[in-house]
Amino acid sequence: MKPMLDCDSVMRQLWDFLDGELTEDRMEAIREHLKVCKRCQPHAKFEESFLGALVTVRREHSDPAAIAKTVRDALKGRGYSVS
Amino acid sequence: MNTRARDDERFEREALVWLPDVTRFALSLTRDESEADDLVQDTFLIAYEKWDQFVPGSQARPWLFTICRNRFYRTEERGRRQVQADTPELESLAAAAIHASAQQAGLEQSFESAEVVRAVEAAIAELPDAFREVALLVDVHEHSYEEASEVLGVPIGTVRSRLFRARRLLQEKLLVHARDAGIGQRATGPDTRGTSR
Repeated sequence: MKPMLDCDSVMRQLWDFLDGELTEDRMEAIREHLKVCKRCQPHAKFEESFLGALVTVRREHSDPAAIAKTVRDALKGRGYSVS
Repeated sequence: MNTRARDDERFEREALVWLPDVTRFALSLTRDESEADDLVQDTFLIAYEKWDQFVPGSQARPWLFTICRNRFYRTEERGRRQVQADTPELESLAAAAIHASAQQAGLEQSFESAEVVRAVEAAIAELPDAFREVALLVDVHEHSYEEASEVLGVPIGTVRSRLFRARRLLQEKLLVHARDAGIGQRATGPDTRGTSR
């Protein structure tokens, strides 16, 4: 059985973990640590909420059909053949 | 079907399918719909012109984002400043220290509020370009580090260090906002300072 990661290692890799950018072994090791560590859990939750807030600023175009038409018309002006 | 028509079919399938994503990215960069429209149109016209340079089988999304980003900075004639960032690990540890202050300020409980979302948007806009663009790519538009590295033309290690610095700067800005706006006091009930006898 592998020794559990210490809190310092988990904190150093927390963002990589939340971004899903670690190896599966390392992801699993951090998941296991977070299941039981009362010190790291709240911090991980905070960072997760923070990252969740960043995604919410993604804006949608008010008229997606219009911009699609604009682009297609411009492409057709250059010879694009798909309608 | 001639070669041109076949190429156009492939452009339709592999490039134009990303139009909604490129539009959202352009909106994030410009923060103005009219400017974003021009940027999206330019992006796809350039992509169409350079379609023969696109390597079949590679990902068109990061390629289109690269064109969009480069076009934006060329149009803006923005200076590409060199930026310093600490090691990613130090940034992660520094962020851990911010957590305690954020709890005190009531920020954590308010991440979903419209007020904080507006503050996040403003905080991202205030970031230096090098940090802003990596935060937009990874955090807002959910690119992997590898895709962001491709779009920005920098190594993955640079993406991580800039991204983690960007996040720490954002947290610091949001913390200041939460304190200034008295978010913690509102989250914990009415402010009774000065009313006790």
